[in-house]
Amino acid sequence: MNKKVPITRLSKFFSNEDFDLNVQIGEEYLHGDLNMKLILYRVDSDSTDTDAVYAEVGKDQIKFYPPVEFNALVRVESPKNNNYKNGMVRYNEPGNLILSVYLKQLKDLGIDLKYGDFIGYPETEEKVRYYTVSNDGKVTSDNKHNMFGFKPYYRTITCVPAQEVEFRGV
Amino acid sequence: MARPKKKNDISVYHGNELVERRQELLDKITKGDSFLPDSVLHDDLDLGMLDFVKNNFKTVSGGEEIPVIPKILTLQRWGEFTNTWDISDLDGNIKLPFISVVRRPDVQPGTNPSLQRTIPDRQQFHYASVPTWNGTQMGADIYRIPQPVAVDITYEVTILCTRFRDLNKFNQIVLQKFSSRQAYTTVKGHYVPIVLDSIEDNTPVDIESRRFYLQNYKFTLLGFLIDEEEFDIKPAVSRLFLMNEFINSNNYEKKFMTKNVEITIAKYTSNGTDTVFSVGESIGILFTVEINGIVQTRDVDFFHVGYTSKISFSSPPRENSQISIKYYKGKSNVYIDSSGNPRQVSTETFTYDGTSLEFTTLNTIDSVVSFDLNGLTQQEGESFEVSGRTNLRLLGTPRVGTIIGVTYLH
Repeated sequence: MNKKVPITRLSKFFSNEDFDLNVQIGEEYLHGDLNMKLILYRVDSDSTDTDAVYAEVGKDQIKFYPPVEFNALVRVESPKNNNYKNGMVRYNEPGNLILSVYLKQLKDLGIDLKYGDFIGYPETEEKVRYYTVSNDGKVTSDNKHNMFGFKPYYRTITCVPAQEVEFRGV
Repeated sequence: MARPKKKNDISVYHGNELVERRQELLDKITKGDSFLPDSVLHDDLDLGMLDFVKNNFKTVSGGEEIPVIPKILTLQRWGEFTNTWDISDLDGNIKLPFISVVRRPDVQPGTNPSLQRTIPDRQQFHYASVPTWNGTQMGADIYRIPQPVAVDITYEVTILCTRFRDLNKFNQIVLQKFSSRQAYTTVKGHYVPIVLDSIEDNTPVDIESRRFYLQNYKFTLLGFLIDEEEFDIKPAVSRLFLMNEFINSNNYEKKFMTKNVEITIAKYTSNGTDTVFSVGESIGILFTVEINGIVQTRDVDFFHVGYTSKISFSSPPRENSQISIKYYKGKSNVYIDSSGNPRQVSTETFTYDGTSLEFTTLNTIDSVVSFDLNGLTQQEGESFEVSGRTNLRLLGTPRVGTIIGVTYLH
């Protein structure tokens, strides 16, 4: 991966400088104006002892790297009223958390969001809701994640609410 | 010689056996405050199933027991909420893992083999005879109950968890418990079988939503309904406890002839006004009625209706006269002694002609009931004796022409 291929497409209309400028403007808006902060709890899979057969861990037995604060565009879906069995044992499932994160920010922080990592989003001063990454959005080849077809510039990460038995903050 | 093996008095079965065990089972059913079993209705069976799950399906996950929702959940939302709030998170959702018991609302006709053949018309059957006493009257009530109604109730016991090992533990517990196909719960002392029907996995497979395991264990409880409202209590034969009060404590005495035939002598002292005297029981055979030792003549001096208890004199005996009524309370002239041998009574009369003091009876004398000279009762050993198998001898010499009457058993 050390070999770099220069991107020369759209060169008559768009360049790396334009790309960087757009990202910079976006970050200014997202990080400066919106300032939506989240906390990433990355699972330290090397230090975590897992079940020999099922690779499961018990409650509060996952080991984590130090949490990292990052910015993202946050969208929380509507909660779903649901039930476990034939209308009985109802539960109100919180909506999924959908994040849009600049690739540049992840690169600057030296982090990655992986499938199964946990993310904390403070809804209020007292309440932090935790999510687990169900789609880390690493595939950014689609037009949506490319700036005018020039280069990908952000990832869309889908997270589902984490059970207390899975994760309840560090 | 090899060392002999010692006998080991090992008690393999510590509980009661046979009749004692049956009584023990009956006592469990009727341990309430009445002789009848308590009602067993739908809610009792549901509670029995719930208790069975709580007591037998204890599963530990991460050092903590997986909670069982303490009630059977129904459609009422607030009921579900109030019974799960203590194991719920801040969103009001039940925290995983947990176990719930849901009953299918439809209760089907029962398939329990012991109750499958139904007797029509809810016919009542004898259950118990219970003695009663109301202070004056002793009797018994007959308790009758109809055949219990067999019902099949289906329950779904659901485990929700996030770990595969929890599923394994729960599954192991259930399968071990139902290794003999069925297990039993106890509902008000009745053993009610539960059958494991099926195990199915309903784990939602969706990558973009919360993940958990959900498995249903379907059980059928082979229950029966017993309704107290259908019980029938009717009085059986009542016995009246009669008490006769006698003024003189020695008015009533019993004389045993030959030690095994019970002949009763009732004695009274006349007050000079009463003409009717009752012995307090039916007189089967009346031997003699005496006033001051003088034998009275039936239908002349006194009257008696057969198998009644009363003697009626035509005129009141003199005050302080001793009245003696000798009778047998059997209902035929054949006496059965305590050994079961039949005895008969005969009365014969002789006239003393001045030649011999001995008289021969027609039958072998077993015992003398009464002996009189011209109607005056005589005592055995004082004025006469039995001198042979058929002979009576006078111990004194009466006047010539004296009529001798004897009643005896043979």
